[in-house]
Amino acid sequence: MRERFRALDSRLLWVLLALIVLGTLTLYSAGRNTPQAGIWLKQSLWNLLGVILMLGLATTDPRRIFRASFPAYLLGLVALAAVLVVGRKIGGATRWFVVAGQSFQPSELMKWITLLYVAHRLGSRPADAVGRLEIFGAVGLVVFPMLLIQRQPDLGMALSFLPILLIIPLMKGLRARWVAALLLLAVVGGFGAWKVALKPYQKHRVMIFLDPSADLQGKGYQVNQSRIAIGAGGLIGKGFTSGSQTQLNFLPVKTTDFAFSVWAEERGFLGVLLALGLFGLLLSRILDAARAAHTNAEAYFCAGAAGIFALHLLVNVGMVAGALPNKGMVLPFFSAGGSSTLSFFLALGLIMGVLYRSRVK
Amino acid sequence: MDPRQQPLLRRRLGVFKGMAWSLVALLVIVYAWLQLVRHGEFKQLAMQQAVKVRPIPAPRGLVLDRNGHRLVDNRRALHLVIQREDLPAKPEEVAALAEALALDPAALARKIQIYRLAGKGRPLVLKENLDEAGIAIAERVRARFSFLGVEVAPRRVYLGDELAGHVLGYVGEVDEEMMMAKPSLFRLGETIGKEGFEASGNDRLKGLDGQKRILVDQLGTEVANFGQVDAVAGRSLYLTLDAGLQKVAQEAFGDEAGSVVVLDLRDGGVLALYSSPSYDPNLFLNRLSQDMVDRYLANNVTRPMVNRATQGIYAPGSTFKLLVALAALEKGIATPQTVVYCAGKKNFYGRDFRCDKATGHGNLSMVQAIAQSCDVYFYELASRMDVDDIHATAEKYGLTERTGIDLPQEKRTRIPSRAWKRKASPRDPKWYAGETISVGIGQGAVGVTPIGLARFFALLATKGKLLTPHLFYGFRGDQSNELELAPVPPQKDTPLDPKIWAILDEGLAEVVQSGTAGANPFIREIAKIIPFSGKTGTAQVATFVDKAHYARQAKKLKDHALFAGYAPREHPQIAFAVVVENAGFGSTAAAPIAAKLVKYWFVDRLANPLPAPRGRMVDPFAPQPPEAPE
Repeated sequence: MRERFRALDSRLLWVLLALIVLGTLTLYSAGRNTPQAGIWLKQSLWNLLGVILMLGLATTDPRRIFRASFPAYLLGLVALAAVLVVGRKIGGATRWFVVAGQSFQPSELMKWITLLYVAHRLGSRPADAVGRLEIFGAVGLVVFPMLLIQRQPDLGMALSFLPILLIIPLMKGLRARWVAALLLLAVVGGFGAWKVALKPYQKHRVMIFLDPSADLQGKGYQVNQSRIAIGAGGLIGKGFTSGSQTQLNFLPVKTTDFAFSVWAEERGFLGVLLALGLFGLLLSRILDAARAAHTNAEAYFCAGAAGIFALHLLVNVGMVAGALPNKGMVLPFFSAGGSSTLSFFLALGLIMGVLYRSRVK
Repeated sequence: MDPRQQPLLRRRLGVFKGMAWSLVALLVIVYAWLQLVRHGEFKQLAMQQAVKVRPIPAPRGLVLDRNGHRLVDNRRALHLVIQREDLPAKPEEVAALAEALALDPAALARKIQIYRLAGKGRPLVLKENLDEAGIAIAERVRARFSFLGVEVAPRRVYLGDELAGHVLGYVGEVDEEMMMAKPSLFRLGETIGKEGFEASGNDRLKGLDGQKRILVDQLGTEVANFGQVDAVAGRSLYLTLDAGLQKVAQEAFGDEAGSVVVLDLRDGGVLALYSSPSYDPNLFLNRLSQDMVDRYLANNVTRPMVNRATQGIYAPGSTFKLLVALAALEKGIATPQTVVYCAGKKNFYGRDFRCDKATGHGNLSMVQAIAQSCDVYFYELASRMDVDDIHATAEKYGLTERTGIDLPQEKRTRIPSRAWKRKASPRDPKWYAGETISVGIGQGAVGVTPIGLARFFALLATKGKLLTPHLFYGFRGDQSNELELAPVPPQKDTPLDPKIWAILDEGLAEVVQSGTAGANPFIREIAKIIPFSGKTGTAQVATFVDKAHYARQAKKLKDHALFAGYAPREHPQIAFAVVVENAGFGSTAAAPIAAKLVKYWFVDRLANPLPAPRGRMVDPFAPQPPEAPE
């Protein structure tokens, strides 16, 4: 057991613990005087479970984990297909399995499995030896589950798979024509998505992003109230459990998507600096892990993980400030939710393992 | 190969790290922009939606009868409202709201526009006095329109229903025309008296709205109160009305149309004022439904909204003979001893004027002429005078003026004169002598209001005191809860010559004892207990060939029955005027109503008083009120 605790990277651990404290305080304040008053406690249990899983994963032989990634990937695809058929429909989207009263979202975990499997496939040989065909194959491995998820529909989740593709420039570098091709793809794909793939509510969100005041009572209302909460926080904030936007329920879905607005309102810009600084340290440490990794696969996994965390940070924190469209992407350690919390900790467990082995060898 | 040996990978990861910190820096800039640069603006917005200034409606004062019985009370009611600060701006929002509440979209939009321009104050009321179903609907609609609110406000209750509709009137929201006319007096959304005493006593009854600053949550629920200026309730007022007497008046009328006024001779206080058919003011508190419009307003031939006591103009018929006699005696044209022979009719200016008694009364003195209501006698008196003489006397004794009762829109009595004819009939401005003959018996162009007639008989009863009839009796003391009398409105003294007065007084007494009214056994019986004086009147509505012809006519063409007088004969205390429309003779239709009132006032009221008002909610009419046995 002591061995296991020694596996924990102290720098990463302190950052994690600090973020967990911030998130728990936020959820306590957000749930106060609402039917969700106990949500901070529930989330703490998820966090505890997550830390235990992280501990377990940190001391597991990485080869066993990577070997398991292929069957896990196949299982994940089956689960994604199954959720479309037997999943519980909540709010117009079929994203959840409900087992014994606890809902579970398979796409959360699938994101990490996909990363793991792609890192495993591409990292098994030196970067120079990986051919173009294999690269395209990897892209396909990422896009396929994305398409399944978009059927649910859950655009935010589907997009959160994209950072996995960061592995490719990490291996091959960026060339001008690659960038040009990507830009072209983005424009064509964006246009095609608008015409074909985007659901009306998604288009609506984009429209509201372009002009939030256009629909102050509807979808724009949420972001508008969130901006008021953030702005009203000022430099030092309204004080813990004293944010008027939060406590008087002007702020919508404040325990999940808009949890960061609660923090920003009550702890102000200084609190935001602290939280963003902690996230910066987290990303930085994960990338340290990538640099310290013994194998390419481990390095790729860590880099992809940093990308996924960064995307969540960018989309959620940007969205609640009205700087990005309302995508509904959770913020790690702040937004309440079991599936996402466990998935983040599992990923961090692997990263912890990488750092541990770099120390002992 | 160990990735640590790959410099390219390490370099790229270094770039990734730089990108990660750039991302953090970017977000910091975004938040610095919102939280530092634009902080003031967002702080203001957060304040605006959480801190609200809300008016506290002041309850109107209660209205009590002279003994403290409640006639008007306040009860709690719920209204669906939009607070001024929350008025919706978008046309499509207003349209959706109108649809959800089944309101006229154009009218609602207009109203919202007006309220927005008017600034702070009472909220815009969308639905009044919500019942349980109404509350359920309101809650459903509120889920869609967050700016809606439910307000608790006092609401008027008129306890006697139709008992005193015309006296009390009703309240309503101040309308735009009144606002525009007197913007300093009224505030938008304010409840004001629209009719009756609610209107004339509005300034005393209305209180002063208060205000509070509160913290609200997203649903508009009050979370905290930062302080308030309390509303000042309006003062509760006593009326001179006696609820018991009013009730007797209401029941005496039954289905007949007409009105009655009873005046207190001490001060001119109105003891009873009933106009039949009456209306129930409670029905006017909600916006008029189609049902209500049909019942009360649209083409209703009985015209229940008219206060016949102050707005009805009737030919006074024989009740006017007292003024003619008074004019003749004062001018010296006739003396009490003047005797006129009645042959059933008399020719003036080439035309026969008939007496009601076709066989004739024979030789009559003035007292006998009044008692028997002989027309020929008064034709004769009128023929010796000019119409302007009669008008001058009427003017001297205040009959040409409005009485000044504190009810809105009192009509003026019409006593013809040459000047009046010139104005009223420009195509035929000349006054014909024959017209004066008709005026002599209260026909022709003469028209009086029942309240004016009652005041004239009060003048006769008091030997010349010209009272100002009034309803406002006094305030209820804030601490004591006792009546604090208001000053009596001014009265004029126009003393009658005691000799002349004695003749008229005797004539009026004889009417009841032996004359036209005394023929009715019911009247005789009551007069035996309480001797009272009065004059019958039968005012023609249309002209007929003979009595058989008249008997065949429709009810609406039949004569109006009148009776005016005072009681008791010695040291009179009350004066009254009764008009019963299309009911025939004054002695059979109007005088019995007066007799019932006299009997209640001097006998039954003292023998079986109404239960004393006590507690908060005494409704003297709900339990079995001790009524005069009919």
